[in-house]
Amino acid sequence: MEFEFLIDGVRRTIVLEPKGDMFTVRDGDFLLEAGIQRVSEHELLFRVGGRPEMVYLARDGKRRFISAGGRSFAVMEPSREAGRFAEGEEKSPEGIVSIKAPMPGKVIKVNVAEGQDVRKNQSLVIVEAMKMENEIRSAAEGVVKRIHVSAGELVDSEKTLIELESKT
Amino acid sequence: MEEGLKGEFSSAGGRSFSKILIANRGEIALRVIRACREMGLASVAVFSEADRASLHVQMADEAVPIGPSPATDSYLNMESIIQAARRTGAEAIHPGYGFLAENAEFCRLCEREGIVFIGPNSAALELVGDKVRARKAMEKAGVPIIPGMMSILRSPSEFKEEARRLGYPVIVKASAGGGGKGMRVVQNEKDLEPAVEAGRREAKSAFGDESVYLEKYIEEPRHVEFQVLADRHGRMVHLFERECSIQRRHQKLVEESPSPALDLELRTRMGAAALKVMSAAGYSNAGTVEFLLDRDCRFYFLEVNARLQVEHPVTEFVTGVDLVRQQILVAAGEPLAFRQEDLCQRGHALECRIYAEDAAQGFLPSPGKILFLKEPRGPGVRLDSGIFAGWDVPVFYDPILAKLIVWAENRDLACRRMAAALQEYVILGIHTTIEYLRDVVRHPEFLAGRLHTGFLGKNFEGWGEASKDEAATRLALAAAAFDDTIRSARPAGLLSGEAASDPPTPWQQLGRWRMGGRGSHGI
Repeated sequence: MEFEFLIDGVRRTIVLEPKGDMFTVRDGDFLLEAGIQRVSEHELLFRVGGRPEMVYLARDGKRRFISAGGRSFAVMEPSREAGRFAEGEEKSPEGIVSIKAPMPGKVIKVNVAEGQDVRKNQSLVIVEAMKMENEIRSAAEGVVKRIHVSAGELVDSEKTLIELESKT
Repeated sequence: MEEGLKGEFSSAGGRSFSKILIANRGEIALRVIRACREMGLASVAVFSEADRASLHVQMADEAVPIGPSPATDSYLNMESIIQAARRTGAEAIHPGYGFLAENAEFCRLCEREGIVFIGPNSAALELVGDKVRARKAMEKAGVPIIPGMMSILRSPSEFKEEARRLGYPVIVKASAGGGGKGMRVVQNEKDLEPAVEAGRREAKSAFGDESVYLEKYIEEPRHVEFQVLADRHGRMVHLFERECSIQRRHQKLVEESPSPALDLELRTRMGAAALKVMSAAGYSNAGTVEFLLDRDCRFYFLEVNARLQVEHPVTEFVTGVDLVRQQILVAAGEPLAFRQEDLCQRGHALECRIYAEDAAQGFLPSPGKILFLKEPRGPGVRLDSGIFAGWDVPVFYDPILAKLIVWAENRDLACRRMAAALQEYVILGIHTTIEYLRDVVRHPEFLAGRLHTGFLGKNFEGWGEASKDEAATRLALAAAAFDDTIRSARPAGLLSGEAASDPPTPWQQLGRWRMGGRGSHGI
C-alpha cells in the first residue's frame, strides 16, 4: 500500500507491504525490509537487519507526533491546501496572506496599522507566551489588509492575527 | 518523623520548624518537597487554577489554591501566599527561583508575619536585587564591574546619551531581574528606544518592576558564576564555579561545573572575589555571584542571584553538598557544618534545560498536552522534572519542563553521558529542546570547551534545516504507515475508549493511499 503524509509540512509518500512476518518499506529507489512490532500503545520496535530501532508515536486529533532515530516529527494527513506555505500563514487565491498565531498567548502590541505597507521580516505583532515576548514577522512584502486582534487579547494557536495583501 | 526532624537541627540552632510552604511550581517545587520529606518536614504546595493537577500538587503533603492562572494573580500574589502559610501553619516559606524569590517586599512581609523566608534577609536581598545599587556597592568593595549606568534613568534622551558614552553595542537590563527577562542587546541608536520599551514591558510582567538600565555589552564573554553558602553566624564558603555560557536570548540552556576555562589560580581569585561580594552585601543563605569572563581572562562582576539557581544540581554533583537542605538548615539558624578547605570538586557535571520550545522555529513557546513521556535512566543521570504524560503544559509560566543533569569522571565522559541520556529522552505532544541540546553537547567546539555566550548564535543559527535527517524521516513515515495499517486491521472497539476518536481507516479514505504503490495511481 502506498501512504501519503505531510511530515513537518512536507508531502511525502511511502510504500509499506507485508512480506511474510516482515514488511517491505519503499521510498522512491530506497528499499528495506523490517520487522515491525507494536510494543505498547505508543511504542513500535523496528528490526532492520540485526539493528533494533524504537519508534515512539502519539496522536492528538489530526496530528501524530513521532520520534524516530532521535528526531521528532509531526505527521498529518495531507489536505489539498496544506504544505504549500510555511506554518503560520495561508495564502488564498486572491493573494491574501493570513498571518496566524503560532502558539496560544496574549497579544502585547500590534506594530502596524491597516493600509500600511510592510517589508519582508517586518515585526507585525508581539505575542507573549510563557513569559517571553515573541515577534510575529511578515513573511513577505505587502499591505496590511485587516487586523483581527488588539493589544491585551488572548489568542489561540492558529488564530488569524493579520491579513496581508501580498505584493508578489 | 518527629524524631528525624529533631535530628536535623542542633540545639544551637535559632529556631527550627516542621512545615515549609513552597511558593513555586514545577520541577523546583518538587526539588524542595523532596528535601523536606528527607528532612522529616511537612511540605505545603500552592497552586494556580492551571496547576490544579500538576506534579508538585500531587507530591506535597498539603496543597492550597492561591488564585487564577496568570502568575500575577497566583504565584506573584503575596497576600494569597502568606494567607496559605498562616492557614496551614507553615513556619517557613521556600520561594524557589523566579516569581517571588528575589522580591524584597515579599521577604519583608514574611519577616513581619514571623514566617521564615528561606533565603537572604530583606536588607541583603534589597541591595543585591537592585542591580544598580549592587554595582555601586561592589565597585566600592573593589570588585571589578562592567562599565554602565550607575542610576536608573527614565527619559529616552538620557538613555541615548548614556549609550553614546558607553559606546555601542550596549545591553538593556532589568534592574529587578534575571533569567534574561527584559534584556536586549542594542547595536545602534535607532534600536535603542524600542529595546528599552520592550525591556520595560517584559521586566514589568516578570518582576512587577519596570526599571531598566544600560551596560556596555562585552562580546563573546564566558558566563562563570560562583555558588556561595553563608550561615547566620558569619561563616561563608563558596562551592566553586559553574559555567553557563550556552545561552540564547540570555537564557541559559547548558551549565557545567567545573568550567573548562578556569585553572586553579583563576578559580582561587574569582572565588575570593565572590566571597568579597557576598560579605559586602551582608548576605546569608545560598546565593550566586555571576561574572563575565572576557577573552583575556579578565572577570567582571555581573550580579548576585539571591536565590537557589536553576542550575544548582551541577554544583551538588561535583561537591556532594545538598544545597536545598543547606538552605533550610541555614534558615533555621544552624551554623554551616563545613569550611572552605573541606570542599573540593570531584569529576564533572553537566545540566541541560528541557524547555517547551520549538528550537526549529526560533524557539517559539510550545505549550500543550504531553501525550507520551519516556525518561532517561542510568548511572550518573539525574532528572529534575515537573511533568508527566497526560499533563497540559500551561501557557502562563516559564517554559522550563525539566532539567537533565549528568555526572561523570571527566568532561569528555560527561558530554557523552549527556548525549546518550538525551537520546533516551522522548517527549511527544509538544516541541522541546531535547534534540537541539543533543546536537549542542556533541558539537566539536563544545567538546573542545571553547564556549562563549554567543556560541549558539554562531554555531546553531538555522539549526532546524541542518538537523533534518533522511533516515529518521523514513523511519517515521514507515511507522505512520504501519500505525495506519494496524488501526485499519483492528476490529472496532478493540482498544476501549480509543475507537470513538479514531480517524477513518485507510480502507474508508480512498484519497489517502493507493493500492499497489507507485505503479497504480488510478484508483
